[in-house]
Amino acid sequence: MSTETTIRVELTLDGVARTAEVPSGALLVEALREDFGTTGPKLGCATGDCGACTVRRDGEIVKSCLELAAGAQGCEIVTIEGLADGDELSPVQQAFWDEQAFQCGFCLSGMVFAAEDLLRSNPRPTDDEIRWAISGNLCRCTGYEAIVEAVRTAARRMAPPAG
Amino acid sequence: MIAAALRYDLPRDLDEALALLSQDPATTRLLGGGTWLVPELNRGVVNADRRVVDLRRAGLGEIRADGDVIHVGATCSYAALEASELIASRLPLLHAMAVGVTGGRQIRNQGTIGGSVAAARPQSDAPGALCALDAAAVIAGPGGTRRVAVVELLSGAMRTTLRRDEILVGFEIEQPGGGHGYHKLKRAAGSWPIATAAAILRLDGDGLIDRATLVLGGVCATPLVVPVADVMAGHRIDDDLIAAAAQCAADAVTEPWCDELATGRYRAAVARPVAHRALIAAQSAAIQQRRSQL
Ligand code: FES
Ligand code: FES
Repeated sequence: MSTETTIRVELTLDGVARTAEVPSGALLVEALREDFGTTGPKLGCATGDCGACTVRRDGEIVKSCLELAAGAQGCEIVTIEGLADGDELSPVQQAFWDEQAFQCGFCLSGMVFAAEDLLRSNPRPTDDEIRWAISGNLCRCTGYEAIVEAVRTAARRMAPPAG
Repeated sequence: MIAAALRYDLPRDLDEALALLSQDPATTRLLGGGTWLVPELNRGVVNADRRVVDLRRAGLGEIRADGDVIHVGATCSYAALEASELIASRLPLLHAMAVGVTGGRQIRNQGTIGGSVAAARPQSDAPGALCALDAAAVIAGPGGTRRVAVVELLSGAMRTTLRRDEILVGFEIEQPGGGHGYHKLKRAAGSWPIATAAAILRLDGDGLIDRATLVLGGVCATPLVVPVADVMAGHRIDDDLIAAAAQCAADAVTEPWCDELATGRYRAAVARPVAHRALIAAQSAAIQQRRSQL
């Protein structure tokens, strides 16, 4: 069996068609950072625990350290860099900014995507629902309170008027 | 970075997957959701392997009913189970298991029920829930398809009786009726379960128990089927009977599993209360279900 050491991966990255030569053993997060040059997704644990590597793949959020780059062939990948519209942050990003819900920002990919997903399916979450929704993501800086507050704020701003 | 050069294949159906696997079963790894295999490859634990066959596009993600039997494809993600009306209405225990899987929405999008069984980690939710539902695993190999009870497929911690040239394609589960309870003990929302208990209780027309099932997960190397029917079948349900059944669970734990989350002694000690909570939930669900039928 011939096993190539690099492979060609074509995907859509934050709305742009891209191609890169990637080591065949690369994790998706490694390929995004090293070969596609986008550093929004971070490599934290590489075991699926921290969520820092979160991206949206074909509409679903995934931890990209648990994916092989080879498997992203033809996929549509959105990273945290793809959420803002030019200089205008997404409502969730803006709420994180306003509530000072991050310090180093390492966890933001996981937190922001988890919050976006929650608010899509549940525009008026309770605090328990917010906490459960972000539970697959670890933050070493904030102590989580400000993050929960940011999701509350985003929900308030985004929710359709009651009634 | 996975040190070895890898060959990656994404077969479009089961036959193609079996053909790829048959080329060199010893060095090929089957990928379900990747939540276990990819970190193992990355850590070099399975560095002898050179080829990954990704099953996610092989048509093994279907959920459908065929009379009383519900088929759940091996590559169904927890999110797919969570979203399925069929699972919610006819296998609510499986629904309850899926919504509670740890690791966030990402892991529920990525993790698959078949991958969880094939990985056979003692702490995983899915194997215990499937055993409580008397699920049969459907396995395809070079010689055709075979069926084996999930409880028999799991032969030890991280061990199954799947052969290297076989593919777990899904599960067949009969709707159990009655009511269920699912209880899980873990340290924090984001941590692996230490112990799980899945209970199913069903009452007959006279209000006597005609099905009683209790399976503990995480407590031993493989799901522990507790013989609660011995004390419960034919009896009227009450608090004493539930307590006696929970005690059965504690008595059944002879070789508890031990890992970095909890010692064997701890797991043996929590078996009874975890079982008790699942049984209490199953009791009220069973009573409600019988009322709805009167
Ligand atoms: S780096 Fe992917 S979950 Fe931590
Ligand atoms: S802001 Fe630093 S890890 Fe969350």
